Formats: sequence, C-alpha cells, structure tokens
Amino acid sequence: MLRPLSTLRSIARAFGRPASLLRRHLVLVLVGMAFVPVHAAVSLWMPRLLGNALDQLSAGGTTDALRQTCWLLLVLAVVEAGSRYVSRKTLIDASRNVEEDLKNDLVAHLQRLPVAWFDRSRTGDVTSRLTQDVELVRFVMGPLLLHGGSTICLLPAGTWLMASMDLPVTLASLGVFGVLFVAMRVLMPRLHRWSKKSQEAIGEVSQRAQEDFAGIRVVQQFGIGARERAAMATRNRRYLLANLRLTRLRALLNAMSHSTSGVVMLGVLLVGGHQVIAGDITVGQLFQFLGYLALLTFPLEILGWTLATLPRAHAAGIRIEELFEVEPEPDTGASPELQGRVRVEHLTFTYPGSTRPALQDVSFTLAPGQKLGLAGPVGSGKSTLLSLLLRFYDPPRGAVFVDDHDVLDLSPRALRALFALAPQEPFLFSDTVAANVGFAADADLTFELDAAVAAAALDQDLPQLHLGLQTIVGERGVTLSGGQRQRVSLARALHSDRPGLMLDDTLSAVDPVTERRILRGLHEQRRGRTLLVASHRLSVLQDADRILVLDGGRVLEQGDHHDLMARNGLYAQAFRRQSEAAALESLPEDEA
Amino acid sequence: MSDPYLDDVMEGRIQFGFLARLWPFVRPYRRGFAVCLLILLVSFVLEMLGPWLLRFAIDGPMRDATSDDDARLRVLLWYGAGFLGTTAAGALLGYVFGLLTAWNGQRVIRDVRRRLFDHLLGVSLSFHEKNPAGKLTTRITSDVENLNELISTGVLQSIFDLLKIGGVLVVLFFLDVQLALFTVATTPVVIAISVLFRRNAQRAYRAVRSRLALQNAYTTELIGGVRTTRAFGREAAVHEKYMARNHETADAWRATVLHFSVFFALVDFALRATTVGLLWFGGSAVLEGTMQPGQFVQFWLYYALFSGPVKELGEKYNVLQAAFASAERVFHLLDEKRFPPPNPDARPSARRGAARIEFDCVAFAYDSGTPVLHDVSFTAEPGQTIAIVGPTGAGKTTLLALVARLRDVTGGAVRIDGDDVRALDPASLRKRIAFVAQDLFLFTGTVLDNVRLFDPQIDEARVLRALETVGAADFVRRLPDGLRSQVEERGGTFSQGERQLLAFARALVVEPDLLVLDEATASIDSASEARLQHALRIALHGRTALVVAHRLSTVRSADRILVLERGRIVEAGRHAELLARRGAYARMLAQVEAPA
Repeated sequence: MLRPLSTLRSIARAFGRPASLLRRHLVLVLVGMAFVPVHAAVSLWMPRLLGNALDQLSAGGTTDALRQTCWLLLVLAVVEAGSRYVSRKTLIDASRNVEEDLKNDLVAHLQRLPVAWFDRSRTGDVTSRLTQDVELVRFVMGPLLLHGGSTICLLPAGTWLMASMDLPVTLASLGVFGVLFVAMRVLMPRLHRWSKKSQEAIGEVSQRAQEDFAGIRVVQQFGIGARERAAMATRNRRYLLANLRLTRLRALLNAMSHSTSGVVMLGVLLVGGHQVIAGDITVGQLFQFLGYLALLTFPLEILGWTLATLPRAHAAGIRIEELFEVEPEPDTGASPELQGRVRVEHLTFTYPGSTRPALQDVSFTLAPGQKLGLAGPVGSGKSTLLSLLLRFYDPPRGAVFVDDHDVLDLSPRALRALFALAPQEPFLFSDTVAANVGFAADADLTFELDAAVAAAALDQDLPQLHLGLQTIVGERGVTLSGGQRQRVSLARALHSDRPGLMLDDTLSAVDPVTERRILRGLHEQRRGRTLLVASHRLSVLQDADRILVLDGGRVLEQGDHHDLMARNGLYAQAFRRQSEAAALESLPEDEA
Repeated sequence: MSDPYLDDVMEGRIQFGFLARLWPFVRPYRRGFAVCLLILLVSFVLEMLGPWLLRFAIDGPMRDATSDDDARLRVLLWYGAGFLGTTAAGALLGYVFGLLTAWNGQRVIRDVRRRLFDHLLGVSLSFHEKNPAGKLTTRITSDVENLNELISTGVLQSIFDLLKIGGVLVVLFFLDVQLALFTVATTPVVIAISVLFRRNAQRAYRAVRSRLALQNAYTTELIGGVRTTRAFGREAAVHEKYMARNHETADAWRATVLHFSVFFALVDFALRATTVGLLWFGGSAVLEGTMQPGQFVQFWLYYALFSGPVKELGEKYNVLQAAFASAERVFHLLDEKRFPPPNPDARPSARRGAARIEFDCVAFAYDSGTPVLHDVSFTAEPGQTIAIVGPTGAGKTTLLALVARLRDVTGGAVRIDGDDVRALDPASLRKRIAFVAQDLFLFTGTVLDNVRLFDPQIDEARVLRALETVGAADFVRRLPDGLRSQVEERGGTFSQGERQLLAFARALVVEPDLLVLDEATASIDSASEARLQHALRIALHGRTALVVAHRLSTVRSADRILVLERGRIVEAGRHAELLARRGAYARMLAQVEAPA
C-alpha cells in the first residue's frame, strides 16, 4: 500500500502551496462558500414548484394559486441570481488572488537563485512554469471551489430527491451518466495527448517560419524559397493530421454527451410515462424529475472536466514546486569595504557538468586603478574569468582573491558592488533609455545620467531617437542598433559608479571612430577605477597595464602591448591584421 | 503614448469584405461546406422535432384516459422510438458535421498558411527589416488559426443560430400568438444585457491582454536579464516592479470576473423571469381552457431552444471580432507587394561559368529617400576579383545586394553577362550567385543540410568535397555524428573561424558563377586564420568575385580595387597603381603599422 501514500504525498506537494495561499484569502472563501448551499437549495426548490404548478394546471388549479407560485418563483430567481453572483465573484477572485501571490512568491524566489542555475535552465521553460503552469493551477482551482462546492450540495440532495420520487429511473439515469463519465476519463487523456501533438506540430511550423524570416537574406540570396516551401508543406501536413485527429476525438465526445442526455431523456420518458399512465406519478412530477436531472447534468459535466484537467494541473503544480525546491544562492560571507586588488593564482575552473576546463592554470595580479586586457577568441575563457570575479560561479578555494580575501569568503553582493559589468550581449529591459541607463540606482539622477550617457557616446544618438532619453527601447532593445545597445549597457555600468569596471567585449558592434572617442573619454575620467577589458579588438587593449592572451582557457602570452608586439607571436600577428582591416575601413579624408 | 506590445490591429470591425477575400481559399472545398450546410439544416429540423414529440406524448397517451393502458403504452413506445431516432440521428449528424467542418476548414487554413508563407518569402528585404520575424510568425500561426473561427463560428455557426432563432420564433407564433409576443418582447432585454456586457467585457479583456502581455514580457526579461540584475544588485527593485505589473494584471482579471458575475446573474435572472412570465400567461391560458397542457410544455421547451443562442450572441460576437481582426492582419500582409515583382517576360539566366558583371551609372536610395549609391560604374570581367574598400556606411553591403537583385537600383543598371538583372528570372539569377556573409546564419538541422541548404540534389559526397576544399572537413568529422550532427541553436557548436569556413563551403557547394563575399575581420585565433586565407584563395580561383575586403592580402591580389566613400567610387585600380597615385587609398594604408 505504498502507492496511495506516495500519490497522496505527490498531491500534497503539488497543491499544498496554493492551498496554503488560499488561507490568506479565507474571508473571501468563507463568504463565497456560505452562498453555495443557498444557491443549491433554491435551485432544487424550483423544479418542485414548477412541477406542482403544471399539475395544478391540468387538474383544475386556481388563478390565485398560480399567481402565488409565480411570485414565489420570481423571488427565488432573485435569490438564485444574487447568491450565484456573490459566490462566483468571491471564489473566482480568491483563485485570482492565489495566482497573484503564487507568481509574486515565485519571482521573489527566482531573484535569489544562483546565476549558474539560470545558465543550466532554458528561459522558455522557467517562463512557462511562471506563467502557464501557475495559470493552469488557478484554472482548476477557481471552478473546483465554485462548482465543486455546488456539486457537493447538489449531487447528494438532488439524487436523494430523485430517488425518493422514483428509485429505478434515478439509478438508470445516474448509470448512463456514469458511463459518460467513464468514457470521458478514457477519452480525455487521448485528447490531451493529441492536443499536445498538435501543439508540437504548430511549434515546428512556427520555429521554421521564424527561422526563415530571421534568415530571409540567406533564403533570398541563395534562392532557396521553393525548398523552404516544401519543408513547410511537410510540417503543415503534420499539423493538419494532428488537428484532424483531435477534432475526431472532440466530435466523438460531443456526440456521446449529446446522445447520453437523449438516452436519459428517453428512459425517463418511457419509464416515467409508464408510471404516469399507471397513475403512480403525475405529469408535473415527471417534469420535476426532468428538472432535477437538468440541474445535475451541469455539475457532473464540470466535475468530469475538472477531474480530467486535474492530472495536468497536478503536473503543473509539481513543476512549480520544483522551482521552489531549488536551493537559493547563499548570501553569507563578509562584506568589507573593498579596494579591488585582484590576485588569481593557478586558477583552473571547469563548469559544472562539463569535462573540459574553461580555465587552466591562470595567474595574474592587478592593483586597484590598473587596466587588465583579456584577448582571445570566442570560448577562450575571457567571460568565465569575469564571471568568477563576480561569483556568478564559484571558483575553487585558494585561487581567486580580492583584497587578499578568497572570493568564496566574500558575499556575492559585496563583489558585485565592487565591479560594474557591461557584457558583450547587453541585456536591455523594454523601458526607456533613461531607465536602462539608471537601472542600478533607485532614483534616476538626471545630472549623473547625462554624464554617463555622454561618456558612453550615447548623446550623439539621442537626436535620432524620437523621445530622446525617454524613448522606449522595445523588447530587449530591438529598436536600437547593436552598437547603441552596447553603449546603453556601458552607460549603465558607468552610472552605477562602482570602483571597478568590467567591459566584456562591450564595444564590438560600435564603429571604430566612436569606440576611440569612448575609450579616450574613459581613460581621462577613470579616477582610479580598476578596468578589466575583454575584447576581440586588440586596439582597445593597447594601453592596458597587463594583457592576457587566452586560448582554450590557457594563458598563451602575457605582458603589456610593447612586450607582446616585441614577441611577434599570436597577439602581434592579429594586431597587425586588425590594423589592416581598420585602415581599409577608415575615412580617407580623415588623414588628409 | 502607444503601447509597443499592442498589435497593429487590435479588434476588427465586422467587415464582410474579408469574407469575399476568403472565398478563393474556400472555393476548392465548397462541396464539402455545402454538405456541412445541409447537415446543419437537417439537424435543425431534428432539433425542432423533439419538443413536438414530447407534446404529443403528454397530450396523447399520458393524459388520454379514453383508451386502455396497453394501447396507451404502445403509443408511448412509438413516441419513445421517435425520440430515440431523432436523438441518435442528431448525435450522428453532429459527429459527421464536426468531422466535415474540420476536414474542410483545416484545409482552408492550411492553404492560407501556405500562401502567406510563400508570400512572405517573396517580399522585399526592406519589408523584413521593418517587421521582426517573431511578429510575422505570429501572423502565420495564431492569426491564420483565428481565420478558422471566421469559417466555423462566423459563417456556419451563425447560419445555424439564425436559423434556430428564426425557426423557433415561427413555431412559437404558430403555437400561441400571445405567448410568442411576450417572448419576443422580453428578448431585447436579454440582448441588451448581452450587448452591454460585451462592451464592458471587451474593454476589460483588452486591459487584461495588454497588461498580461506587459507582465509576460517582463517575466521573460527578468529571467533573461538575471545576470544584469545580479551584477547590479537590483533584485529587490526587479521584484517590486514585477509585483506592480502582476497586481495590475490581477486587477484587470478581477474586473472581468466582476463583469462575468454580474452578466451571468442578470441573464440567468432575465431568463428565469421570462419563464415565470410564460408560466403566468401560459398557465392562465391553460386554466381558461384555451391551451392544452402538452402544448404549453411544448412552448416552454421551444423557448429553451430559443434562449440558448440568444444568450450566446454576445460571446459569438467577441470571437468573430477577434477573427476579423486576424483576417485584417493576414490580408494586410498578403497585400504587401512581392519583390522582385512578377515579370512574365523574364528570361532565365543561363549558367556559363564565370560571369561578367557590369555596374552602369548605378544609383540607389532606400524607400525613405536616403540616397546610398551615386553613379557607380565598373566592370568585373569573367574570373576577376573586385575588392571594395571604404568606411562603414559607404554603401558596400548595399552594392553587393544589387547584384542578386535583393534590391532594385533606382538609377542606371546592373548587368550580368550583358543582361540587365531586371530582365532575368530572379530564381535562375540567384542560382548563379553565392554569398559568403561575415557571420553564418545557421538553420536548425544537420551540418549537411546547412551546407547544402536543404537541397537533396546535392549529395553527401559533394558536400564533403566542398568541406574538404575549404579545409573544414576535419573539424566536421570530429563532431559526434559527423556531417549528420545537429547544429545547436545559435550555432554554439562552432568557433567563429569554423563558422566562416562553413560559410565558404555553403557558397562553393553550389559551384557559383559569381561569388559575393563580405570578408570577416581577423580574430586572434591564428589556426583558423591560416585556413581562412587558404579557403579564400581556393574560392576566388577562376571565379568572378565581388569582395568587401578587410585584409591587405585580399586587396593586394585583387584585379581591381574600388574605394567607396559616401556612395561614390573615389578611386579605382590595382593595389600598386593606387599606392603610386598617393590618393585616398594610399592615405588609408599609410595608417597600417609597417606595411610589408
């Protein structure tokens, strides 16, 4: 008997948190639940009144009695509508509140997870847990509260009322509904399976289309439109087939629920009609019975639907809980005032899950106010080195020191308050340019903002942006050019006014003239700032106090520009070739 | 200020013009849809029969005390059989109807999707530059999907509902004029509630949509931007902003809950009240003896048939409106002009080995009017390499795009082997030209498919040969599945140098008559640098080539160098000639440290 226990545990794991959040909105739930039995009682009273009225009509009732019944029915209708309104509003609101709370708690938790965890997970996956999964849990929770409560009241009461009128017909009708219920349980998983397949198929269509549009230059240059059309046709067909399968299942379910109610009606009519003829019940009672049946159909349908959705909501709940179970980044360690003296000793670092070290035996020292240059191809370890200094990843003990503290003994916050990072692929929020530049500060201090904008040579672009600093940059900054994005990111780093600055190939998309202007400015305003600069463009590193040439995680050459040029190695060769390219792209009149 | 997340067209007016535009897509399946309509008619009749049977069962065998019980039972059984028959037939027809509408509707949708995709592949580059891939993809997927609603909900379901409302009304009047008049009088109230609700709910839902879009976008951002948040220690600020957005969305949702709660309560009450009214008027009639109880029940049941569709009118209207908005977006895209425009007189451009390219007083300006090229003239004889140098923004990339007619000149002409490119069939023209871009665009798929660009005519041996030629075969072989290895998203599998070699292989495998090359800037990776130099030599050998040059070795061996500045050729000639002239080119090169 282990299985039921573990199932129970799994259910508790999936729904425990939403249920406990529901307690925060206890008043809403209690008020809503209080009106559910009111609604049920009124709903069950009405068929009886109508049945009686019908009997009175055929067996010589009076107009007065009819009038009385009508007034009573009208009052009951008001109570029915009112109680429904209250319970719907309160209970569905409660489920919306839980959704809001759950999302807030989840985001608060995400803000504390280590960066390394985000690197391992896909953005789309985390996003879908935070949106679709939470919504799915709410999607089941609201109706379960509202209709579940109704069902609990209506089903036993209605069944008892029906059974007290006619036991065999009641059992027969419920039996037929039971068959439908079972059929739904059988068909629903198939429906979900095919709907998933259909989703996957449209996903493929979407992915292919997205790629073709993103790579439209290649498609047009190589004239491969016809081939892409054929590839798309295959995907389209797969989607069509999945969809047809899906609609067949849906049509079957529809037909079944239709014919079920028909069969029940028929049974009631035949058996009930028989009894009417035999004089056991009246026509009015027959209608009363039908009224109860109609009342029960809806909650039963909803119950079937909810039970069918429950496994998916359960899976969603588990996926949400998995996120909550990820261990947050420890925020312990000392937070002394740091000067920014960096010492790296025989650092070898391998990413978790990888077999090849990203850095091997790297050693160097850097005094506060000095400039370190990192040169090397993509994947040579430049960004990894910078990540370790910010403790996005933990280096091995005894390898990386800041101000003679092992970084493992410093709190991540303290390290991140020491260095401002401007990464190669800058991340912009879809907000104004000003908000992106001023991201690091609580209030945007206009004066300092202007200084940072000017230092990043962003001021030259402002006239082109229709609202200047107040222009919204679009999702991930799509409305800006690559170079503009990088300069916004640089301005952000400068505005944060940290003692150290890390430029991770920050200016790769900026044109050479502007780049030179920025670097000249940075050099003049350094005010003792420590600079760590990684770049493909070696001209950027020329004035560094120390340049590390990295390849495959190893330091191949080390020294300042003159040392390295004198060695005539990798650095010198690449430097010359890049000078050629720069010359061929220079403005001829510049030198005139 | 406009919200960047809102679509171009948020809600369509119900414009029947779009139905006419949809017709050519529906036409091939018109027989299937005709059968659907027929089924609808039959289902309508069957549905109308049910209450009738019930009436006769009640007024006949159940209440008729004149004949004996057995006879009454037999009649009852007959009615039962009739009821079973209509129910079974109704269910069966419903099933067939579901299948048939899907069978035809889904095919229409597929055809629209195919057509739209074709169309978007064939419109101009400038259009694609203005419209992000994600947006166009949404048009192809969800908007086209919504068109299905236009057919199923819009046309078929509306016809059924209108039939039902109309048919039931006729029956109601036939049964009892007074009761029918009462019903008709109360209907506007239900419709008014429904319309009022629709208007409010729509506003509420619009708020939900735009706020949810903002919130979800921010969700993606806070996950994607986690490094930035951490690097600047802004976790609390981000969480606060998220909570604010989340709260706004939740508020919008709660507003819709309010609308729904009120609406359901009001409509339910209105329908109940109508029922009570029916009971009062009908009951009085029965008591006065002007109406049979069975007839009254029948009226009652018909009213139920009538109130259903009336109640749903508002909801249907919403669905339709969204569908029309999608139709507008889809047809708007289909209205975009194809580029190059279809030209029935176009001649194919025959392969004949190295091509001869001629730029004759070429001028080019973007749609915005910004001029890019002025009076550019030069000739590349078969087998020659033309190097183009000059500052960023001088028009180098634009010049390359004109050759394959990715854009059209605004003055002068570009000729290949003496033919104006505008007189040639673009597909055959582009087959003769191969591009090597600075960065390789990789498609999801194998290395093999990325080199041959999904052309099954090019076999593995040929692809391997091309890889061999450019010196990329060894690293491809080292991949876990060799040629058949899957390329990772964003091509994380390859280094920059390897990507460039693959770009060379992609160009050479089609054995082009003309090579158009945007040379990549040198990286510090010296191993791939040497291989790239080698690949370039092989690629240029015996081929006409236009090269945007970034290396001294390339310009030095070029047959002709064009110095481009602000869209004009300021100097042209061989390396040595240009150096001797001591003009712009010489000044450019003077910056290079110790030119060898």
